[in-house]
Amino acid sequence: MTPPPGGTPRRVSALRARLGAAACLLVAAGARSAAAQIPDSTTTPDTSWNPDSTRAPVAASSPSYRWQFDGAGLLYSEKGRAKVIEPQARITRLFPDGQTLSATLGLDVITGASPTGAIPTTTVQTTTTPSGNVQTATANEVPTHPFNDLREGLDLEWTKPFGGWLTPSLGTHFSREKDYRSVGGTAKLSVAMMRKLTTVTVGAGYNEDRVDPVGGTRAPLADGSVLLGTGANPKRVRSALAGVSRVLTRRWLFGVTGSRSTEHGYLTDPYKVISVLDTTGAPTSDVVTESRPTSRTRYDVLASSVYHLTQNILYASYRYYWDDWGVTSHTADARYRVELSNQSFFQPHIRYYFQTRANFFQFGLPQGAPLPEFATSDARLGDLRTITLGATYGFHPHAGPGEVTLRAEYLRQWGKGSGGDQDGGEFEGEGAPAASSGRIDFIPPESIGSIVVGYSIPF
Amino acid sequence: MSGRVRRLLARTFLAAAAAASAGCAAMKVEPWDRDLLAEKKMSFTPAPLESAIDDHVYFSKEGSTGGQGVGGGGCGCN
Repeated sequence: MTPPPGGTPRRVSALRARLGAAACLLVAAGARSAAAQIPDSTTTPDTSWNPDSTRAPVAASSPSYRWQFDGAGLLYSEKGRAKVIEPQARITRLFPDGQTLSATLGLDVITGASPTGAIPTTTVQTTTTPSGNVQTATANEVPTHPFNDLREGLDLEWTKPFGGWLTPSLGTHFSREKDYRSVGGTAKLSVAMMRKLTTVTVGAGYNEDRVDPVGGTRAPLADGSVLLGTGANPKRVRSALAGVSRVLTRRWLFGVTGSRSTEHGYLTDPYKVISVLDTTGAPTSDVVTESRPTSRTRYDVLASSVYHLTQNILYASYRYYWDDWGVTSHTADARYRVELSNQSFFQPHIRYYFQTRANFFQFGLPQGAPLPEFATSDARLGDLRTITLGATYGFHPHAGPGEVTLRAEYLRQWGKGSGGDQDGGEFEGEGAPAASSGRIDFIPPESIGSIVVGYSIPF
Repeated sequence: MSGRVRRLLARTFLAAAAAASAGCAAMKVEPWDRDLLAEKKMSFTPAPLESAIDDHVYFSKEGSTGGQGVGGGGCGCN
């Protein structure tokens, strides 16, 4: 820097210090709320904490905007099974004092088929649904039942920062589908401390759900012809969360969150069945309904990191989960955002999921043997792996405002468990029965594709 | 899960929390150094709607859930 005529290096240094102090005050005082009162101002965004996430820093939103619209649409397809179209729209009102009020409306249109829980055999399987429909499953294929549903959901959330360090948040939601209704609320409190480098968040939620199976609630571990009733079954979910996040360096944000949730009530999947095995261990054409405990306590610990390299950003997280049904899981997730220009980015994604089975999971029940208290052969409670590969491309359209994102992902899910033939074939997976002949995967690999289109615009 | 493993996890969580809140206090990030951190993309969930969709998909396909928050709209997810 060239000193001004007649100036000295000491005076320049003093000027620089004053400018630095002014910039510091501007940022530290919470430029967002101050600037919100000045139309069209361009200010340095503050780094107070994002009320929308338990640990995330607030977005660099321009306070001159009063509203924010976010939309996303999912197209989801399982090969030979379910297909889903899920549009979501959220409108957020941004108040000058940092307060936000948002409403999210979502729809799920689901059609296709879902596994019944029965294991595949080398013969054709025929079952009768509670509504009297007869289903036929092809030999050597996982038996499925057709279904369609429409889910409608509405979420409301209110957040208001106090004093730049305390941010309470309240939310409520309602959703319904053909056989399920959910009403609930959440409350969170974030406290920023240590010069806003550390944020501690605590939260709690409560759901009052009702499960209303089509055709009535079937008796557990029975052939499906016995109904317990035709009314709705209650299910209550309480959850609590505690987390801490920390700005470690100018480029690195790190957080750890632990949560616990308890579920009480009707937790059985009303449409799943279990194959009955004959004396040789091979599945018969008979099935019985499944039975699950009426309570479940879940725990998880999530560690997340966001690291800003020179231009690109690495997102990484790991979650450990366990519950009192015996399910444990590990989930590792990584995304790498590559800035292509000021107007676009590309973000590859990989996720790996590993799950152990519930302690009452079994592929079949031996004919004539005493029935256990609980049993399920739902693959989602078995030994399971999922790998996800995908990529997002985001850009600001030349012809208009806002940001568009396009994401495509491929999921591959597979389980552990197969039956071999009676002549010395291998049995894999605990409790895996024999197939009547040949080797059959009881949880064969499943391929899933999805596309998400997103759009965001402040106005 | 055994109580021993749970205690180990709880201690790990507390240690991580302590490290995050205190152990790194020596690393000063001044307010004027938070330009990168203030960007929307520098958050754990930069696209909340897409994250919610993901949670819904995985909730319907896997046996475990959690980590991102409390509550949320339940579903039958057959």
